[in-house]
Amino acid sequence: MSRIKPRMEVSIGKLKLQNPVMTASGTFGYGEEYAPYVDLNRLGAVIVKGISLEPRAGNPPPRIMETEGGMLNAIGLENVGVSAFIREKLPFLRNYNVPVIVNIFGESQDEYKRVAEIMGKTKGVHALEVNISCPNVEKGGLVFGCDPDMCYEMTRAIKAVTDLPVIVKLTPNVTDIAALAVCCEAGGADAVSLINTLKGMSVDIEKRVPHLNRVTGGLSGPVVKPVALRMVWEVVKKVSIPVIGIGGIMTAEDALAFLIVGARAVQVGTANFLNPRATMDILEGVEAYLIRHGMRDVNELIGSLKESVE
Amino acid sequence: MPRFQKLHTGEVLSNRELAEGHYLMSIALPAAFAAAAPGQFVMVRVKDRAFPFLGRPLGVYVQEKGGGESRIEILYRVAGRGTGVFALLKKGDRVEILGPLGQGFRPVRGRDRIVLIAGGIGIAPLAPLVRRLHAKLPARATLDVYYGARRADLLLGLGGIRKACSAIRIATDNGSKGFRGPVTDLFAGDLEQYPPERTVIYACGPHAMLKKISELLARHPIPCQVSVEERMACGVGACLGCVIEAKDTGKPYKRVCKEGPVFDLNEIVWR
Repeated sequence: MSRIKPRMEVSIGKLKLQNPVMTASGTFGYGEEYAPYVDLNRLGAVIVKGISLEPRAGNPPPRIMETEGGMLNAIGLENVGVSAFIREKLPFLRNYNVPVIVNIFGESQDEYKRVAEIMGKTKGVHALEVNISCPNVEKGGLVFGCDPDMCYEMTRAIKAVTDLPVIVKLTPNVTDIAALAVCCEAGGADAVSLINTLKGMSVDIEKRVPHLNRVTGGLSGPVVKPVALRMVWEVVKKVSIPVIGIGGIMTAEDALAFLIVGARAVQVGTANFLNPRATMDILEGVEAYLIRHGMRDVNELIGSLKESVE
Repeated sequence: MPRFQKLHTGEVLSNRELAEGHYLMSIALPAAFAAAAPGQFVMVRVKDRAFPFLGRPLGVYVQEKGGGESRIEILYRVAGRGTGVFALLKKGDRVEILGPLGQGFRPVRGRDRIVLIAGGIGIAPLAPLVRRLHAKLPARATLDVYYGARRADLLLGLGGIRKACSAIRIATDNGSKGFRGPVTDLFAGDLEQYPPERTVIYACGPHAMLKKISELLARHPIPCQVSVEERMACGVGACLGCVIEAKDTGKPYKRVCKEGPVFDLNEIVWR
């Protein structure tokens, strides 16, 4: 058995990652919240909380509720806005060698374009993840993410204003996620990431009120993993751009399943809340698996699913 | 190479029901577990159990260090299914502890009338504060505790703080001990004897109690710090799940886990 440390580099368009383990937007703040726990330099990339042109207050509380095997959230994209992000948050991340992927959000296509344009001119931003899949806001988000034409238009519009690699983050709240991925690829996306949260709901039966102020929220955690895995499997068969797997990844075993199905990289989200070091445990577990299976390069594993159970 | 904080594994030493639905859990932790300031909290999960999925934020009631080990005690009330699972934990069971987290109570200098107001399980973060304040109490200063509960048998931890207090005034909803009615009514009757420029208040209890204190102090402006509760996911300021409505800061919400759980009473919008 080989004891040589396997190669872990993967590429997302022109962006090279030292390993395929990233943090999911909205679950890792702006990096600084977890820096006391995780050596950010060891991550594949940090994907920061979704940024909009202007600061957003987010939704009134209560914003979260635990469920069986996961949680619902309706944060509502609370964020400091582009200017404060560049002024107050990004300098901290520039102290590290980790690629920074900025998740962007807007209420109109024009707003997305403006945020993308500003980020493209900002030192220390390595790629964009376009959030057209948030279930917790009135305008924007899902409106764009559920419509094939809008997915195409949005991707094209953003690619036209920036040279940064563009990842489009897709919603699972649709009938055919692969069709949307195909539109993003046609629009010039460098990659797609999936899934964002599943729209759900929870009720306090004693008071007969919703648990969340916004009534509905986005479901995440291990409960969504089988759905996410199936969707990644469907999408990798339909597009040739890299697919980034997200959804209930708590352990190395979970991440490995996504890689085997064909995800080029993974994002760890809700797991950070339970264990701030979850990304490191997952990274080390993936490396150990490759060594145990005699693989020298993680790319040997990616997409190695045998479709017959024989 | 910087040292990183860890998610600690602790071992339950004991988990006793002190009164109906109220438990005291003692947990052994590695020596690396940092000292908790009064009012700080830890996120608690049961190791290798799927439920409760998220950690529960609970105040550190007692902490002892020594012999290469740290030991904490957590005083908690069974409020739902999650804490219901905690109540079943036995000696030897393992728990995951993240923390200590958040901003605890901040000592206020130059005040010699110190008042603590506890409602129910709100005694948990205030008891260590009583001990801390007593240790540094200026000469001639007073430390008065107002403590309310539903019934006399739910008044917990009095033995541990009695010696440190100048006075303990009790209120129960059913009158089974002390004043009959809300602790805020009891305190309201004494309010005039506390000069605002010499007094500081520390409080923890149900939302309605804290709201009542804010109403009382609107006419009698004594500086007051309150510890508040919210559902949490991460405990470290990342998820923005535990926010509370804030006043006059340009930012409409503050994170209970990061800027709190102890706030100045006037930072918060009381609805």
